[in-house]
Amino acid sequence: MASSATETTKESSTSGSGSGDNSETKDEEKKDDSMFECNICLDTARDAVVSMCGHLFCWPCLHQWLETRPNRQVCPVCKAAISKEKVVPLYGRGSTKQEDPREKVPPRPAGQRTEPDPATAGFPGFGFGENGFHMSFGIGAFPFGFFTSTLNFGEPRPGAAPRGTQQHLEEQFLSKVFLWLAVLFIFWLLMA
Amino acid sequence: MANIAAQRIKREFKEVIKSEEVAKCAIKVELVNDSYTELKGEIAGPPDTPYEGGTFVLEIKVPETYPFNPPKVRFMTKIWHPNISSVTGAICLDILKDQWAAAMTLRTVLLSLQALLSAAEPDDPQDAVVAKQYRENLEMFQITARHWTNVYAGGPHVNSDCDDKIRRLVDMGIEEHQARAALSSYNWDLERATEQLFS
Repeated sequence: MASSATETTKESSTSGSGSGDNSETKDEEKKDDSMFECNICLDTARDAVVSMCGHLFCWPCLHQWLETRPNRQVCPVCKAAISKEKVVPLYGRGSTKQEDPREKVPPRPAGQRTEPDPATAGFPGFGFGENGFHMSFGIGAFPFGFFTSTLNFGEPRPGAAPRGTQQHLEEQFLSKVFLWLAVLFIFWLLMA
Repeated sequence: MANIAAQRIKREFKEVIKSEEVAKCAIKVELVNDSYTELKGEIAGPPDTPYEGGTFVLEIKVPETYPFNPPKVRFMTKIWHPNISSVTGAICLDILKDQWAAAMTLRTVLLSLQALLSAAEPDDPQDAVVAKQYRENLEMFQITARHWTNVYAGGPHVNSDCDDKIRRLVDMGIEEHQARAALSSYNWDLERATEQLFS
């Protein structure tokens, strides 16, 4: 048929060095165009969006498809489940300002930007996770209870000192002192 | 007609004409009117089926809402198949109903119909009589389908036994297609077909 005949001439012309260059670039342009065709209108995609399954559409086309069957929203190409929230717009350079002639079509969904990691971006003195956020509640009577219920922002909670060191011994001693203070306090409360 | 529908049909029309299936004479599309709302399709009966050698003509009506809704397709050529009405040519195929997807084209529809001819679905029938025969008497179904292909779609296999029985009914004053339909429905039992026709 006609198509196969043109293909063979194309091949022969591309294999030839000088004269074939022109037709070669033309063919490549054609190929590039068809790679960015909307799967619904078969035209070059305008306001392009791409589904999670990787299929390209004009946003107006895909929107109309989703509106046609609101109960069964599937990709027109591979029938994977799709939704308005899960399509990604493609922003080519200098092509985003094109106005859509179909006014009733809502704007295509915005791109989703995830902020970079907060540790690297830096929020000094306020952070979650590795920057240390501790919240502790205690039960007690005024004035002691007031101090036991605290919010600690900022500094990471220090770990327990290793066994046998000077610090460990001091900590043991301090905890015993506070334990005795607490016992005395409760005793005083009961007596009073 | 909506602009998008006409635009797309024009593009698809070009695609079908360029496709390799046309080169192999397996499918064909022709315009019926200039507005691209109605087309005529043609598919070749797939090899190793009773439809082999036949050419089946299809009526394709493109709705305003195409490609968001499927085209309306019907067999113009009479055919004996569980999923196609032997009377009206209506087709029972999921992609022409709820399983339609906007990325499907004239080419994929015609190829799907060709696939339907080689793989019938008797459990989801359009023509209950044909489906019953397919399930209960596959050999008789194949004879009947091959005979219909020969008579209506230009298939090569002439069945003189079927032709004789039809001629006898025609001699009794029955219209030829009516005689063929009755005989086909009764597994080519002449007595029962006659009984049904004259009751």
